[in-house]
Amino acid sequence: MSIGEKLRLVIVTPERTLFDEPVSALRFPLYDGDIGVLPGRLPLIGRLGSGELKVTAASGEQSFFIDGGFAQVQGSVISLLTHRALPAKDLSVAEAEKQLASADAKVAKGDVEVTAKLADQQRARRMLAVAKRSR
Amino acid sequence: MAKARAIIKRLKAVRNVRKITRTMELVATARFKKAMDRATQAAAYTKKMSEIVADLSEGLKNSGSSISHPLLQQRESEKKSILLVVTSNRGLCGGYNAAVLRHTQQRVRQAQADGVQLDVEVSGKRGIGFFKFKKLPTTASYTHFEDRVSFDEVDVLAKRFTEQFVRGEIDRLDVAYTRFVTMSRQIAVVETLLPIGKLVGAEPKAATKSKTEYEFLPSPQEILEEIVPASFKARLFKCFLDAAVSEQISRMVAMKSATENADGMIRVLRAQYNRARQSQITSELSEIIGGAAALE
Repeated sequence: MSIGEKLRLVIVTPERTLFDEPVSALRFPLYDGDIGVLPGRLPLIGRLGSGELKVTAASGEQSFFIDGGFAQVQGSVISLLTHRALPAKDLSVAEAEKQLASADAKVAKGDVEVTAKLADQQRARRMLAVAKRSR
Repeated sequence: MAKARAIIKRLKAVRNVRKITRTMELVATARFKKAMDRATQAAAYTKKMSEIVADLSEGLKNSGSSISHPLLQQRESEKKSILLVVTSNRGLCGGYNAAVLRHTQQRVRQAQADGVQLDVEVSGKRGIGFFKFKKLPTTASYTHFEDRVSFDEVDVLAKRFTEQFVRGEIDRLDVAYTRFVTMSRQIAVVETLLPIGKLVGAEPKAATKSKTEYEFLPSPQEILEEIVPASFKARLFKCFLDAAVSEQISRMVAMKSATENADGMIRVLRAQYNRARQSQITSELSEIIGGAAALE
């Protein structure tokens, strides 16, 4: 594989294959921050976080909201396995705000619940950010 | 005329039934295609998942640690387990539900013999009805799993099961469902989903696959912690998808044979009717001739 060769991005959710197209670059959230992938990336297996996936393809930029899962970079093929992936234009600010409000309102007791609450809040905030940006 | 009329009536009834079964066959075919599409699309996820797991176990082997996860651990003694029974909401699908329920009963009896406390959870009206009829206790029942199961719905169940298993409330989870093998072969099985026996379905062939040195973000162990529950969820989801596909196939086959049977009946009734009509005409004719002869 030579540098400059196109990448292929495959987004798979448990229900279907959402996206399978050649792309030139992409950026997605890992568990601890965003990662950018350009052609020629070394093989990688990583845990995804929640947030925005930005894809640069020949047809222009596309944006998705992804929520956890795994990433595999193997040669020029990038596979993203995620529980949920939504095109950013399908997100609604109102819906994201509602989710954030419900996450905020949750009363958490004990370590497990507090971690869950924080994760929910973070997910909702990121969803809101993606929704606002895509408008 | 009485006999011919009665036959006509039956003929009409059979024709109506044939129309219904034929329509149901067509509907089942359409639904089967949709369910099949969903199942094949979902298969991509499971395939990728096992690929990553295979790469991951390779990475773990290189770093000198072994795969261990609470969901993978076999319990020494089995005290309590859950059996999830996946049946359909609707009937008229041949032996589909009967086969699943037969396996379920076997498992229930076996659990009784072993002295294991078994909680039965049933999905589908047919199964619920069966347990009510048999007066067997169930702990939960669901009717919302139709032939378009969404991952989110299954996710709720999966989360509860994993939590219960990790907390040690249950030692085993079985699912009784119909596994889709090929178009012409679906078998009812009771499968143990927890603890997960083998994470990788088949050992990847080292010869066909060139080994890639992966960079793991974070460590393989941490990814494993996340991927094991995910692969359990995918498996449970697959059970439901398989069940949906198999249900539609069984209904298709059952309705096809019902339609063919109705065709046969129509043919027989037609012949009977024609014969009855002819004999009636003959007897009427002979009556007329007899009457005319008496007048001469």
